[in-house]
Amino acid sequence: MADQLLLQLTNINRDYGAIQALKSASFEIGHGEIMGLVGENGAGKSTMVKIIGGFDTGFTGEYFYDGEVRHFGSPTAAEHAGIAIAQQELSLIPTMSVAENIFLAGDGVPQVASKGLLAKKAKPFLEEVGLGHINPMRVTNRLSVGEQHLVEVARLIAHNPQVLILDEPTAALGETDSIRILDMVKRLKERGKSVIYVSHRLDEIFKICDRVTVLRDGESQAPRAATDMDVNSLVELMLGFELGDMYPARRPITREVPILKVRDLWPDGILEPISFEVYPREILGLAGQLGSGTSEILGAMAGSTKSRGGTLHYDGEEFMASRPKDAIRRGIAFCSEDRKHDGLFLGRPIMENLSAPSIETISSNGLLNGAKERASTTENAIKFTVDPKRLPQEAGVLSGGNQQKVALGKWLSISPRVILVNEPTRGVDVGARAEIYQILRDLADQGAAIVVASTDIQEITNLPDRIISFYRGVQIGELELGRMTSASILEQITDPFHEAGIAVSERAS
Amino acid sequence: MTDATAMSGDDLNFIQRIRRDYSPLVIAMVGLFLVVFLAGATLTDDFLTWFNVKTIIRDAALVGIMAIGLTFVTLSGNFFLLSMKEIAALSIICFATLMGADWNQWGPAEGDPTTSALMMTFLVAFTATMIIATITGAIQGALIGLGGNPIVVTLGAAGLFFGIGSWWSDNLVVSYRRPHGAEWLGTGSFIGDIPNITVAFIIIAVVAELTLRYTTFGRQVYLVGANRAAGRATGHENFGMAIKCCIIASVCAAFVAVAFSGQVSSAHVNYFSSEFGSSGDMTIMVIAIVMVGGNSIMGGYGSTLRTSLGAIFISSIDNMMVLNGFNSGARVLAVGLMIVFSIIVFALVRRGSRAVE
Repeated sequence: MADQLLLQLTNINRDYGAIQALKSASFEIGHGEIMGLVGENGAGKSTMVKIIGGFDTGFTGEYFYDGEVRHFGSPTAAEHAGIAIAQQELSLIPTMSVAENIFLAGDGVPQVASKGLLAKKAKPFLEEVGLGHINPMRVTNRLSVGEQHLVEVARLIAHNPQVLILDEPTAALGETDSIRILDMVKRLKERGKSVIYVSHRLDEIFKICDRVTVLRDGESQAPRAATDMDVNSLVELMLGFELGDMYPARRPITREVPILKVRDLWPDGILEPISFEVYPREILGLAGQLGSGTSEILGAMAGSTKSRGGTLHYDGEEFMASRPKDAIRRGIAFCSEDRKHDGLFLGRPIMENLSAPSIETISSNGLLNGAKERASTTENAIKFTVDPKRLPQEAGVLSGGNQQKVALGKWLSISPRVILVNEPTRGVDVGARAEIYQILRDLADQGAAIVVASTDIQEITNLPDRIISFYRGVQIGELELGRMTSASILEQITDPFHEAGIAVSERAS
Repeated sequence: MTDATAMSGDDLNFIQRIRRDYSPLVIAMVGLFLVVFLAGATLTDDFLTWFNVKTIIRDAALVGIMAIGLTFVTLSGNFFLLSMKEIAALSIICFATLMGADWNQWGPAEGDPTTSALMMTFLVAFTATMIIATITGAIQGALIGLGGNPIVVTLGAAGLFFGIGSWWSDNLVVSYRRPHGAEWLGTGSFIGDIPNITVAFIIIAVVAELTLRYTTFGRQVYLVGANRAAGRATGHENFGMAIKCCIIASVCAAFVAVAFSGQVSSAHVNYFSSEFGSSGDMTIMVIAIVMVGGNSIMGGYGSTLRTSLGAIFISSIDNMMVLNGFNSGARVLAVGLMIVFSIIVFALVRRGSRAVE
């Protein structure tokens, strides 16, 4: 299909001080092609994207675009040439209307334009990205995160780009919003646009990409047709070795006495009080899309989100944590989905991060015990395969995967009996992901109860021993190990009441 | 003051480590500054004498103690108390009023009072002042801890405390007779000719630094300051932290007020607004010291050791300029330049030392 290449980069080198981000890497994309760009964290994906988009000008190598040698001096220059990037972080102005955001740059519309005119002009672009049902006059922050991502793409399309780069567009999205993005990418391809699709989600790569370029340690592998590969061979290319099965094996669990009974928990975002049990030695999955209320439930159990009512029956007492401290004291750990917000002290040493929840236990009479702290944090670092030599470094210098391991690993210091984890592997590369799954499984085998909430359908299908599903703040059902398939889970979390009439089994292929 | 945080102990010598950790711009700026400072130090007559060094540290003591207290607030991520000088003003009025109060004279009615009687008077006044300082700190800390903006809360509190102090003293100078029980703190010296206030400064600086490094509370200050949300999630709430830190800052301010009152045997609400330090304004001076020391204004990074060095540093520059006959305008300018300079240098150093976030 790509007889003539639209964009070709060869022999690209880029170093940041001592770190060589790209080593004679190559990249190409043809007209009307969807090219997947995958690799572990730190493999050089974002550097490559920045170079293509004109954000990074300090590289060496050949850059051909549309048959000419180019070296864009700025993102604006690249955009004028027809290369547009949708960044991972949204760059919309939340308080302005959708139409105003689409024409933020001010080109393609008259100098003085009424809101109505803007709305009329914005409509075709919204239809293009599958948001035809949305009123362009609506304020942007009233839309869901997924819809906002689509608006961002609509804004880029308004400039009529030839190449569209999507950097992890579905990282923060639930299943339905992700499907919208994928549909939109397919439509763009039909209209002859080229799309560079960067993602950690390998299932998406296989669903939409024509060819895939793999980056590993800054070196590129020759692009391969997606149909010639399967998930295992792709992961092997990314890691350089075979991963085996990413998810640890599950064994049947005898559930006798629950360690924790949740009764009538009712946080915001949940329509009616929720009750369920958690048993020791199991990994319980809370399945649901973004906005289904699963993160609020975990937060309320840990005391970090307010609940209108309810109690936890735990360890012979009934209580409701009103702040995280109450839960931590009882051995209930909560790892939130946003490690940069409340999971890590980025500017502090890794050691202090790992010991943060247990300062009281490693000190006597208010004095820190340095030897004890070093011993316990070293032990936990080794468990999470973080190099103990790095303990004095700031947590902020770690890669995303290692940061997540520290954010999770800090809870081992309180020897928790219940561990609540929201999105255990968001923004984490495949290698670290497998390690985190294995650690969670080990903790469960050692007797802890683990509750995982995830919007990643593969993860929620393959990690837990049991699943409770949620849809828009309503508890839908419970699935035992034997009945946990992606199709049955998807049905429960996207369309439990069969309102949409979409054949779910087909989508879950 | 920039070499204290090189963390990895590889097999590099000192100069190689500096060249690896800091950008050429930072090295050039700090180097230039050191050259100017050393040139000034050697070319200024009487600067490098034991007597002058003692003077510098004594001058640094009062502002330094206050700044050490304020450092706790800054490190814990609660910005600054803009009411430092008003807390001191209320405290000094309280202290001087009680020192001179008729009911607080414990010696015989006739003749010279005994030492123990003077100390009794001092202790009553001192304790009452500290209680008031604790209350002022706790009120501000609680409001900040509940989510109040530190600027708004402490500006409001500043007006409140100054108003109370001014009303209480009828805006007059409150004086009390010598001999009195605060002389040892204000002007006395127990160890040779080293003033007691200098000794107090050194003791407070050491205790504060040890507290931050080796106690649970100190660690919590850093953690809550580095990331308040993560602090809460790991069981360290800012509410209690803000109250504790504001009380520390407040008590330090009150201690300085007592020592200053002991020097001049009197009190007036404007002592810390107009007649103190080269810039005259105690709050600005104290904030300048915290900044020049290189403490992060966002919290979580810095130390009281840096603050103490910052105090001595500003004091020595000021002293150098006095010896060279500069008037107060030029000295205020110098303090201002130092703040700007240190903010730039520390910003560059921090950007260099961190991975891209």
